[in-house]
Amino acid sequence: MTARIHGELIKLRTTRTALGFAGAGLLLVLATVLIGSLAGHPSTLQEKRGVINFGNVLSAVLLLFGVVGAAAEYRHRTLAPALLIAPNRGKLTFARMLAYAVAALGIGVLMLIVAFAIGIPLLSGENGPDLVGSDYARAAAGGLLACVLAAILGVGVGVLVRNQVAAVVGSLCWFFIVEPLIPLLSDDASKFTIGATAGNLGGQTTDNALAFLPDLLVLTGWAALFLVAGILVDRRRDVT
Amino acid sequence: MAGEAAITVDGLTKRYGAQAAVDDLSFEVRSGAVTGFLGPNGAGKTTTLRMVLGLARPSAGRALIFGQPYESLPDPAHTVGASLEVSGFHPGRSGRDHLRSLAVMAKLPRSRVEEVLDIVELRSAAGRRAGKYSMGMRQRLALAATLLGDPSVLVLDEPANGLDPQGIRWLRDFLRSKAGEGRTVLVSSHVLSEVAQTVDDVVVISRGRLSYQGSIGDFTRRAGGDLTRVRAAGVERLRPALEAAGATLREGGDHGALLVADLDAPAIGEIALREGVALQELTAHGASLEDVFLELTADPVEVAQP
Repeated sequence: MTARIHGELIKLRTTRTALGFAGAGLLLVLATVLIGSLAGHPSTLQEKRGVINFGNVLSAVLLLFGVVGAAAEYRHRTLAPALLIAPNRGKLTFARMLAYAVAALGIGVLMLIVAFAIGIPLLSGENGPDLVGSDYARAAAGGLLACVLAAILGVGVGVLVRNQVAAVVGSLCWFFIVEPLIPLLSDDASKFTIGATAGNLGGQTTDNALAFLPDLLVLTGWAALFLVAGILVDRRRDVT
Repeated sequence: MAGEAAITVDGLTKRYGAQAAVDDLSFEVRSGAVTGFLGPNGAGKTTTLRMVLGLARPSAGRALIFGQPYESLPDPAHTVGASLEVSGFHPGRSGRDHLRSLAVMAKLPRSRVEEVLDIVELRSAAGRRAGKYSMGMRQRLALAATLLGDPSVLVLDEPANGLDPQGIRWLRDFLRSKAGEGRTVLVSSHVLSEVAQTVDDVVVISRGRLSYQGSIGDFTRRAGGDLTRVRAAGVERLRPALEAAGATLREGGDHGALLVADLDAPAIGEIALREGVALQELTAHGASLEDVFLELTADPVEVAQP
């Protein structure tokens, strides 16, 4: 398994995909922190938590990172050469998932540093209650967990859908069209969506959001669901 | 090991809906031999190879390598090296990095990557992105990947596709060198002449079914079969007499010549004398390898294996 993970990490390091998504993540985190603190003038704890909750926006970027990376194996037909060396498809997908989790953790740590380094000084000048250690701990731990789980979920979607364009477009439609409609149907159900759980993990986003542990379990469930579905479907497929 | 079946294909079938891409195909590839896997485009060669390599699930039948399904091989990288198509690279990744990722998965040292780059003469371009490679360079990179684990079996799908004459000559030399090392090579092609000089055995398929399996020697003898070319001023008068004597006739191309099978030259000469036809040519005619190949693949018929 170590060899498979190492091979997948080399693949990740040797294209510009990870760099591109890290760059996009950096821009979004910077925008969230700067706009949230300079233009938003946060005064409540919830608003201030939102400024340093880098995992909220970064998780969406890293989900797409996983989708694009996993589906690229089919698009560029690079899966077959790897399977010829490591024929167990489930283990290979699991290794890819771990490699993307490691990469997402690395990108997450960098964005955590950026968000905290810029956000904390800017928030110190704002009115209202100050953030305490537990707020920072949740932003850091929850944000990193959201990044890792989102990347794993993305790998699952990419393996399941296989068509890179369809997987990316489908994911975007889910996030920007389907999930925003769910609160119109049921407030309770909206707490359990991928976007809500990933965003909420690094800092409570709404009053009725799930607590940290249930939120973590639900997001883990989403990631496991897509990954297992992807592995099961992939085992029966013909590889071109 | 020589002579033992390295690859066994047994009743292999692949259906897509009602369409059978591969239909009850059975053949063996001898260990230590170079076998040409031939057939026209769409004959089912690549689908067969994918099933042999565990990349596609057979609808029926099985494919074994040294008696085991590919997925069950204890050390696939050191057993089989396969190249199925030239587009198995990320265009943004260098050739060297592509090989490195595979070498690491196969638990091979980094130095092995440089060794195979030298073997396929691609070291100078190894740092460039694979998306910038010419077709010939991509073929070489694919071959380099097959050699990483120093495998005893090579499976190459249309490795000459897109190569210029220089590249084809290089490929022939490459295959010969691998054969010289005692490796088993299964190389597919839709052009017989690409591999005829290199292979020991041939397996010909058409429309997913076996048309011929045997040694290239037998195939060549079959090509040079018992045809006689007859040219005469009154050749039309000869036709019914030859047919009445049991001959099979085909048009012989230029000058209204006939190709006569199932009747030898002296018998043809006697019939011509009897019919009062002056012969202008009466020569043995060998069909080319390509003629036999085209004949075999035009209408698939189970041919008794020699």
